[in-house]
Amino acid sequence: MAGRSGSHDLLVSHEFFILVLVVVTALGFDFTNGFHDTANAMATSIATKALKPRTAVALAGILNLVGAFLSVEVALTVTNAVVKIQDKTGAPKAELLSDGGGALLLIVLAGLVGGIIWNLFTWLLGLPSSSSHALFGGLIGATVAGLGWAGVNWNGDGSKLDGVVGKVLLPALLSPVIAGVVAAFGTWVIYRITLGVAQRFTDQGFRWGQIGSASLVSLAHGTNDAQKTMGVITLALIAAGDWTDTGAVPLWVKVACALAIALGTYVGGWRIIRTLGKGIVEITPQQGMAAQSASAAVILASSHLGFALSTTHVATGSIVGAGIGQPRAVVRWKVAGRMIGAWLITVPAAGVVGALMWWLGHLVGGAGGALLIFVVLLAASAAMYLHSRRRPVSEHNVNEDWEPVAPVSVSG
Amino acid sequence: MHNVTFALDSAWRVLLTCLILGAGLPILFAAGIRALAWSSGGEPTVTETGVAVPAPRPAGKVLAYACFTVVVLAVLLGITFIVASGFGKAITFDHVIPTLIDK
Repeated sequence: MAGRSGSHDLLVSHEFFILVLVVVTALGFDFTNGFHDTANAMATSIATKALKPRTAVALAGILNLVGAFLSVEVALTVTNAVVKIQDKTGAPKAELLSDGGGALLLIVLAGLVGGIIWNLFTWLLGLPSSSSHALFGGLIGATVAGLGWAGVNWNGDGSKLDGVVGKVLLPALLSPVIAGVVAAFGTWVIYRITLGVAQRFTDQGFRWGQIGSASLVSLAHGTNDAQKTMGVITLALIAAGDWTDTGAVPLWVKVACALAIALGTYVGGWRIIRTLGKGIVEITPQQGMAAQSASAAVILASSHLGFALSTTHVATGSIVGAGIGQPRAVVRWKVAGRMIGAWLITVPAAGVVGALMWWLGHLVGGAGGALLIFVVLLAASAAMYLHSRRRPVSEHNVNEDWEPVAPVSVSG
Repeated sequence: MHNVTFALDSAWRVLLTCLILGAGLPILFAAGIRALAWSSGGEPTVTETGVAVPAPRPAGKVLAYACFTVVVLAVLLGITFIVASGFGKAITFDHVIPTLIDK
C-alpha cells in the first residue's frame, strides 16, 4: 500500500492521505468506545468491591480483546442501518466514488469525529451515553450535510426492523425498560430468598456471581462493538480502492480494532464507572449480580433476535431496575434523569458535530479539509482531557461517597 | 409503523427469554447460597460451657452445588452461543441436548 502513492498521480495520493486519517480516527473512536463502556460491565463489581478497580478494567480489557476476535461475522454493512452510503452487499455507492472515493471518505471521517467528540464530552460530564448512538449520530449528521436528508435511512424498507427508527430510536426506548424489569424482578426475588442469610455467605457468594456475570457482559461487548469500527474501516478501504472483498475484513483491521477497544477498556472511563456504580444506587453484591445478569441476558438475547441495542442503555436500565427491586433502596432519579437526557440528545448532538465537520472539510476541500477536521478533533480532545484534570476521577477515588458527608477539600 | 410492530414483537420475546435466563439464573444462584448457609447449620452460639457449633447439614451442600452447577453450565452455554454465532454457527435445542449447527 505504501508504494502505490508514488506511482499514481497527485489525486490518488490525496485520497490515500485522507484514508490514513479515516483509519486513525476510526481506531480513535474504537478506543473511546472501549473506555466509555468499561462501566457497563464493571461499574457494579467495582462499587461492591467484588473486584479491585485495576483488576476489573484489566479483566474487561482482556475479554473485550477476546470478544473482538470472536466476532468474525462480517459487519461490513454497519452504516446501512442509518445512512445510504453503501449498497446491500457492503460496497460503497458508485456515485460517491467518482472522485476516487473522497466524497465517501469525508462523510465517514466527519461522522467519526462527531462520534468521538460527543463520546469525550459525555465522558467529561461522567454520563454513560451510547457509543453506537454517537457513531450513528455522527454519520447521520455528516450524511445529511453531504447528501441531504434523503441520504438518511429513516424507516427502513418495511421488511425488517431497520433505519433510524428501527435500529436506534425504538431499541433505545425498549431495551432499558426490558433490562430494568428483568433486573428489578431478579433483585426482588433474590432479596426475598437471601433474607436472614448471614452476610458472610451472601457477600462472598454474590461477589463471585458478579464477577461471572460482568465477564459475560464484557465478552458480549467485545463481540458487538469492535465489529462496528471494523466495518467502517473496511468501507473506507473499499472506497479508496485498497480492498475489494465485501465478504471479509482485512486481518490487520481486525487486530487493530481489537487492540484499540481493549486498550480503551483497560484505560477505563473512571468518571462513568463512578456514575454507574455509585451515582444511581448504593449497590449490594446481590443487586450487582442481578443487574449484570439481566444486562448479559438482554444483550445476548437481543443480538440473537436481531434487535440492535446499546449496551450502555441496557446496563443503565439494569442498575436502575436493581435499585427499584430492592426494598428500601434509594434510586437517585436526578442522576438517572440526566442520563436519559444525554441519551435523547446523543444522536442529534453527535449529528450536529458531524455535519459541522463535513461542512468545514468540504469548504477547504481535499486532503487539506480532511486534515483540518482531524486537527479540530485533536484540539477538542486535548481541551476536554485538560479540563478533566481539574477534577480527576481515577481508580483511587472512583468509589468515594456520591454525596460527601462532610465538606472535603478537592485537590489535584 | 412496521418498525413499531417488529420492535414490539422482538421486545416481548427478549423480555420472556431474559426473565428466564437473566433473572432465573441469578435466582437459582441465590437459592444455592441460601442452601449453603443452611448446610452450615446456623451461627455458633455461646453457652455456659463454651461455644456450641451447630451440626452441619450435608444435604444443604449437595443442593447448593447442584444449583451452582446448573448456573455454570448455563453460562458456558451462553459463551458457546457467543462464540458459535461469531463463526456462523447456531445452537439448536431440537434434540434437547444443545447442538451446534450451521446458520
